[in-house]
Amino acid sequence: METLRNALDFSDFPRLDLLIAGLVAVFLLVFPLFPHSAFAMATMIQFLMFSLYGMGWNTIGGYGGQVDLGKAQYVGIGAYTTAVLLIRWDIPFWFSMPLGMCFAIIWSFIIGYPLFRLKGHYFAIATIATSLVLMDLFEVWDFVGAARGLEISPIKYHPPDWWRLIFKEDVYYYYVILAFFLLGIFYVNWFRKSRLGYQLRSIKDNEDVAGSLGINVHWAKIKTYAIATAFVSMVGSFHACYIKNIEPEDTMSLDISILIALMAMLGGAGSLWGPILGAAVLIPLKSYLKEWLGATAGLAGIDLILYAIIIMAISAIEPRGIWGIVEKIRRRKKR
Amino acid sequence: MALLEVQHVTKQFGGLSANRDISFTVNKGELVGLIGPNGSGKTTLFNCISGLHPVSTGRILLDGEDITSLKAHDVARLGLARTFQVYVAAGDLTVIENVMVGCFMRTRSRVRARARAGEILAELNLQEVVESLVSELPVAAQKRVTMATALGSDPKLLLLDEVAAGLNPSEIEDIMKNIRHIHNDLGITVMLIEHVMELVMKVSNRVMVLDYGRKIADGDPESIARDRNVIKAYLGERFVREHEEALV
Repeated sequence: METLRNALDFSDFPRLDLLIAGLVAVFLLVFPLFPHSAFAMATMIQFLMFSLYGMGWNTIGGYGGQVDLGKAQYVGIGAYTTAVLLIRWDIPFWFSMPLGMCFAIIWSFIIGYPLFRLKGHYFAIATIATSLVLMDLFEVWDFVGAARGLEISPIKYHPPDWWRLIFKEDVYYYYVILAFFLLGIFYVNWFRKSRLGYQLRSIKDNEDVAGSLGINVHWAKIKTYAIATAFVSMVGSFHACYIKNIEPEDTMSLDISILIALMAMLGGAGSLWGPILGAAVLIPLKSYLKEWLGATAGLAGIDLILYAIIIMAISAIEPRGIWGIVEKIRRRKKR
Repeated sequence: MALLEVQHVTKQFGGLSANRDISFTVNKGELVGLIGPNGSGKTTLFNCISGLHPVSTGRILLDGEDITSLKAHDVARLGLARTFQVYVAAGDLTVIENVMVGCFMRTRSRVRARARAGEILAELNLQEVVESLVSELPVAAQKRVTMATALGSDPKLLLLDEVAAGLNPSEIEDIMKNIRHIHNDLGITVMLIEHVMELVMKVSNRVMVLDYGRKIADGDPESIARDRNVIKAYLGERFVREHEEALV
């Protein structure tokens, strides 16, 4: 009961924030009803997906301060679980998604246990390494199609197939991911006010103090890492049904990991709205760059340059991202 | 009855012995001061007791239970809370949220943690700063918030590490009131490290002195103030020789 109340209670935000959030929510709900290009729709779906990735990352990376640059491996686990189960045994999305989450969480315990013995940059580097190793393994694993990847051919099914999440029109996918998105917000809203949420912020500040307050620092990090993982794997499963063609390179590569972390870091790590803000800025930018600049010869890779600039700008100007700037201005006004 | 028993504890960092063969007990209901010159191993001793550092040799018992090899968070769960010289639970949380982090050790419910944190803050006369960010408070208030946070975990034994360092006389007075309240009214056994002698001598039932990692004296505040070894540790051998007649 208290859990539910915490999840639905946004009263600690200023009125203005809630008004803007409400308007955005209404816009997201009615967006498909207005005329829009396929490109805009695809961008919106990407925005929702990456917001969710970012929200997941934000639990461990933002609230917990553990910079994780290996989240793509869990996108891969989720996507591959769903694709393999569907193609080989015709197991629908709503079974394969939770199963994928379970696999991802088990894997996160296996690597989280040793990895959280490391701190700071060493932890970040180790997460990159595990993600890349897993990608390389998938590239040579014939059972999952090796480097060719897997393809879900929609002809075999009869869209709209809600069980298997196979649709012809993107608008169905849009509403499915929008539902996840809203649930994700409620979950994180609960999380940040939960015992674990407070404990993590204490861990981020000073692990010795956290330990003296009875917090098992290592275990709290592992638990939160699993939560972040569950988010990412869930969206990974969705990704498989939506894109229908998955390869190790485009689900588990380093760019995806960095992009996931960047959502929250740019928008504001450790705040509820941060990852959404970050995705709202980065995803349209990324789609635009890919569509127009990336197609021009010689400009491919410009998005990576841009990410690098953003990372440098964040660390130089305001480590807490866009939301950090907003809060700074607010506090100055209050005085 | 003994609440904390420290038996022959030695702590070595490489070739350096920070604590050498220290033994003492703290009984339930006592308020014990721990003093000594800089670098005498006071904070190291606290770190060993609270499980932050493993001891090199020796044994530590809390309420009869062997806590020598337990991790800090397990020791905390058994009823030992402490403050640190620098810093609270989280600087970007509000005061009450910091105290809640402590309270969350005994409850999962946010409502209950918040209620308990409010009570503790009121007990320590901090009700005016409940919603302030800790990083915006003056040092004296921050130190008192660290005490409140430690109290959140409902400890049997509270270790305070230099809560009065760098404060002015009226702030020290406030801290002293808080410490007396914790000890007398809440009935919590307290052990405190302090350089502010005025505070230690006034509030402690008993004072222990460390010098170069060894325990050199243990007794009531008056006898400690006259103890030849203690004066030697603080003021040097020459001072003791030159003031021989005054010390007797």
